[in-house]
This record gives sequence, C-alpha cells and structure tokens, in this order.
Amino acid sequence: MTRRVLLMFAVLALIALGLTFYALHLKRKVARDEQLAAEQQRALAPLTNGPPTPVTLYIASDSDGTLRRTQVNVTLPPERTERARAVLRALFGEYLQSSSSHPIGAGADVRDVYLLGDDTAVVDTNAAFGDAHPSGVLAEELTVASIVVTLNANDSKIGRVKILINGQERETLAGHADLRRFYEASNIGQVVKDLQ
Amino acid sequence: MAITAGLALLFAGLLTRQAGVHAQAPGQNQLTVYSPQTSYSVPLLDVNGQPYAGLVELLEPLGSVDARIDGKKYKLHFTPPGGRPLEVQFAGGKDKGKVRGNGYKLPANFVLQNGRGYVPLSVTSEIISRLLGSDAQLHPAARRLFIGNVQARYTLELHKDNPSRLLLGFSSPVNPSIATEPGRVRLTFRREPIVSSGPENVPYSDPLISGVTFSEHDGLAELDVTGTAPLMANFADGGKTIIVTGAPAPAPVAQEAPPAAPAPANPQNPSPQPRQPAGPRFLVLIDPAHGGNDIGAAITPSLPEKDVVLALARRVQRDLVNRGIAAGLLRNSDVAITLDQRAIWTNATRPALYIALHAANTGQGVHVFTAMLPAANLSPQGFLPWDTAQAAFLDLSGSVAGSVAAELESRKLPNATLLAPLRPMNNIAAPAIAVEIAPPAGNVDEIASAAYQEQVAQSIAAGVAAVRAKLPEVRP
Repeated sequence: MTRRVLLMFAVLALIALGLTFYALHLKRKVARDEQLAAEQQRALAPLTNGPPTPVTLYIASDSDGTLRRTQVNVTLPPERTERARAVLRALFGEYLQSSSSHPIGAGADVRDVYLLGDDTAVVDTNAAFGDAHPSGVLAEELTVASIVVTLNANDSKIGRVKILINGQERETLAGHADLRRFYEASNIGQVVKDLQ
Repeated sequence: MAITAGLALLFAGLLTRQAGVHAQAPGQNQLTVYSPQTSYSVPLLDVNGQPYAGLVELLEPLGSVDARIDGKKYKLHFTPPGGRPLEVQFAGGKDKGKVRGNGYKLPANFVLQNGRGYVPLSVTSEIISRLLGSDAQLHPAARRLFIGNVQARYTLELHKDNPSRLLLGFSSPVNPSIATEPGRVRLTFRREPIVSSGPENVPYSDPLISGVTFSEHDGLAELDVTGTAPLMANFADGGKTIIVTGAPAPAPVAQEAPPAAPAPANPQNPSPQPRQPAGPRFLVLIDPAHGGNDIGAAITPSLPEKDVVLALARRVQRDLVNRGIAAGLLRNSDVAITLDQRAIWTNATRPALYIALHAANTGQGVHVFTAMLPAANLSPQGFLPWDTAQAAFLDLSGSVAGSVAAELESRKLPNATLLAPLRPMNNIAAPAIAVEIAPPAGNVDEIASAAYQEQVAQSIAAGVAAVRAKLPEVRP
C-alpha cells in the first residue's frame, strides 16, 4: 500500500470515529429531551389535593376547525389565579395527548396567571408553547380562542385575556395570531359560535 | 464533546464544499425578469461560483407550473396561458436533459436542491424561448432577462432655459425611486424594462446639467444625472416624462440661521411642471404572507408556506388582471417583510382592496377571514388609530369575504368565513380579507398543485369582481 492510500484510510477512520461520537451524542440528547418532555407532561398533573371539581373546557379540533365544549374533573386550588392556571393546564393537558386533534408544542405549559383588576387575566405560558406551536391562521386562532373562552367559562368575571410567552410580549403566536392585544371574551364568543 | 462537535462541523463542511452549493442571502443575488404581462424577481443560487435560477420560480409567473421529482429525474410541466402543457426534464448532477421533447445540453450540471431544480443563469433565456416561442434576451452581468420586445428606451432632451431642464421621456409611465445628493439625481428602475438608448454616457456642456449615465446591475437599471448645483426631479405627462432641473434655494430659516446664504448658481426658482394629479383607480393589493427567513408553516419538510402563497398570489394577480382589475403583489420574490412594513406599504399604496394569502397543513379547504375587531363608528376618510384602522372598513371587508366564499362554494371547495386576530390586517386602512388554504382533501401535497391553486385563485378573482361596484375607487 502506498503512503497516500494509508493516509486516506487514516482520514476516513478519523471521520468514522468522529461520526460515531457524534451519533452517540445525538442519541444521549434525544433521550434527555424525551425525559424532559415526559417531566413537563407530568408537571401538568394537578397542583393540589382535594376533591375533583367539574370544569368546562373548549377543546379545538384541527380536522374540522371547530371548538367543542366538554367537562372534565380537575382538582382546583382555592386561590383564583391558581384556579385559572389549573383550568388552563387541564386544557393544555388535552392538547398534549398524543391522540389530540389539535396538538400544541411538546412541553407547553402555563407558567402563571395574573389578574389585573377583577376582569383581566394575563396568561404567562412557557417558551415551548410559543416556539413549538403549529403555524397557521386557523390553528393559532383555535388555540387563542380556546384559552380565552375556557377561562371565561370557569370564571365569568374574566372578560379580557392577554397571552405572554415566557414572561414576554410576542408579536404573534406562531406567525399569525396577534399576541400584542388583549382579547375580549365577548368578541371571542362570536368567533366560538362560528367555530362550533 | 468539543472534539466531536468539531469533527461533525468539519465533516459537514467537507460535504458542503463537495456539493459546492450554498444559498445567497436574500435580496443580494436576484434576476429580474420582464415580460409583456408582468415583471418579477427570481432569487439566484450560487453553485461553484456560477449563478443558477430555479425553474419553478422562473416559469411560474408566466403560466401554470407543475414540477415533480420522479426517481432521479426532475420533471416540470409548463402550461402557457391558453396553451398546452410542455415538458422540461433534467436529472440532478447531469448536464443533459429535454425541453419540449428535444434533447438539451446545459453548459453545467443541473442542480437539485431541497426538491427544487436549478439551471445555469446563462440558459434561462434559451429555455424560455423554447417554451414560449418568443425571443428572450438575457443581460447576464446585469441579471436582467427580457421576454419579447418589452425593452423600453428613453429619450433625452436638454432645454437650456434658466435654469436648464433635462427632460427624460419614456413611452409609458414609469415609477423609479429617486435619490438626490448634492449635484446628482439617481433614478432607479426596478420594475421597468429600461435599456440604454445609445451611448451609456452622455455629457453636456451646460452650466447646470453635466451629463447622464445609464447603468444596469443587480437586476435594475439606473439613470444618473449629474450637475453643478443641487438637482431635483419631477414627474410630468402622467409619469411619461421626468424633468430634472435645479433644486430651489433653501429658504432662509428663523433667527438662529446664519446670515443670508450665498446666492445659488441659478438664483431664479425653477418652474418644473407639476406632477399630474392621478385620477381615482381600483387596485387590489395581494400580500403573499411570510418570505425570506420567515418560512411560515412547514407544509411538508421541503414545502414552506412562503412558497405556496407566492405561487397562489401570482395566480390571483393573473386572474384579476384577466378580469380587467389592476392587481399588485406586496412581494414578488423570496424577501422578508415585517408585519408593520406590510401595513405601512399597503396604506401608502391606498388600494381598493387588500388580500393576504396564507397556507396551512392542518384542516381542510379554504378559510376566508376578516379582522376580529369590535365594530367602531369610524369614518374611512378621518383619522384612523393604527391598531384598529381596519374597524372603519369591516362592512366592506365582510362583503368581499362573503362574495369570495360564495365563489368557493360554487366550485365545491370546502370553505368557511371567520373572524381572525391576524396581523397586519387590523392595521390596514382599506377593505381587507385574508385567505388561508389547506389541503383540499387531507392530501398535503395537493396544496401546491396547479389545479387546486387555480380553482382557489379563480374563486378569489371572481369574488372580487362580483363586489367591485361596492368598493370605492381610491385616489392614490
């Protein structure tokens, strides 16, 4: 074998070794991400103990572009903002199921809900909600509408809702739905009628 | 970890180098195509230092295009308006292919990248000639391609008045961007097929106007008028004439200004002909959403929303023009435009109707949206708040949406009319709708098919035509 062939084999071996290391690194990373997603999924479990209470959820469906009203039992904390958060986490829990007809980004969660005065709720979602939400006018509208009407259905005093991503205002959810504005439940109500 | 990452990068770098393909930054390297019907830009790809143009991007504005990859072969069917489908066939990495069934040899290998086919820039004119049966002339260094006899020439007339006036005459109205610097006016033509009328450099022995230079580069043409004093340009004759003359002397300013400025070279005020006031006109402005780095939704891994809606927008424009309705595109190439810019440009253009186009891979059929805003008693002629400007036009927008939905229904396309919190629709000071297309029957690939897009485009154009009488013409 000539020196040139040997050199070529050495380079190829080095590249193969590098790719092996890189493949192992990717495998570990995927495992870590899956574990994190599972932990975040688990994090959507109820925050408190107590008897389950029926709550109303408006659940979106991408296949027919509708919102469906349904009831589930959720353990609700006594404090109003915590209750609102628990209701939204129940809604997100529905969307995070693998069988969901309106999937949202894996790991999406509600970080907090704040009340401004008596009637305005500010919903702070995590980065995964905004970064991995499917893009589309209708898909994003369904998510926003379901959040607003679900909050209003379970706390009728909440008439205005603002959505933040990771504590920050964003221009749009995933390129379409306006997140700079406050949403009026009364306006969304008309949309929901159209979507039902 | 750093070592493995480095090796991976090295390997990726080797692969990229071998392929020799990398995309240019958007807007930096484009071909401008002028045809009798329209003018548009095609982004160019740099392959081993040679510019390549995408076949779909090149041909789509000129007719219907249906491109598919069949094994290693790239097959494209191009149907000119009123004509029959013509086939173009190449294979990635090969220089031999077929155009209209005849063998064709490229000067360099055909490139397949992300499911798109690219040919060397130098053959674009010949391929178009073979497909359209008309002459096409490429100015390769300037990145300009002229189809048919679209070239427009200009005339120069120097009037040695006081001050001197240079009249640039065109056969049809032009709308260049005008930049002024001390002693210089530069007219940049992006959409007009302006070519040189004789010598590219015309010097004048005049106390004010020194000369005119024509140049073309980067897909545009420029006329550079130089002078010995500040110059200004005015439109006349409905945009067919541009008059370059001396700029008026600056007005003396308040008490803090220095004492009287020295008299300019031409102290008398020039008396350029004022720009003719344009009459009301009916213009539909079509906004293909997203663009550039903002790809929108990934319809499939190789089919971004930005491409689907640009193709649809060109069809809608063509169908509107065929119905005698003037229509423009907010973007006609793969460029990024912010949401605020879209609203600003639209409001500055003052269209009779704004149509935003979107695409999604979820759901089915076509959704027609109007703005989700509370009704407000605002006068369209009065001051409009930026965030709720659309509120003054909701009734008219609703009429258009209903008309388009009726046309979709008549073509048996699943559809729904909804309100949506969609930006930048709320900021549009004109009747406005948004249309989002989803796959016709759950088959995602069909969303880009020529047949489906043409049905949707025809519905939109017919819907607009049906309510045209209700929409007021606007004075630009």
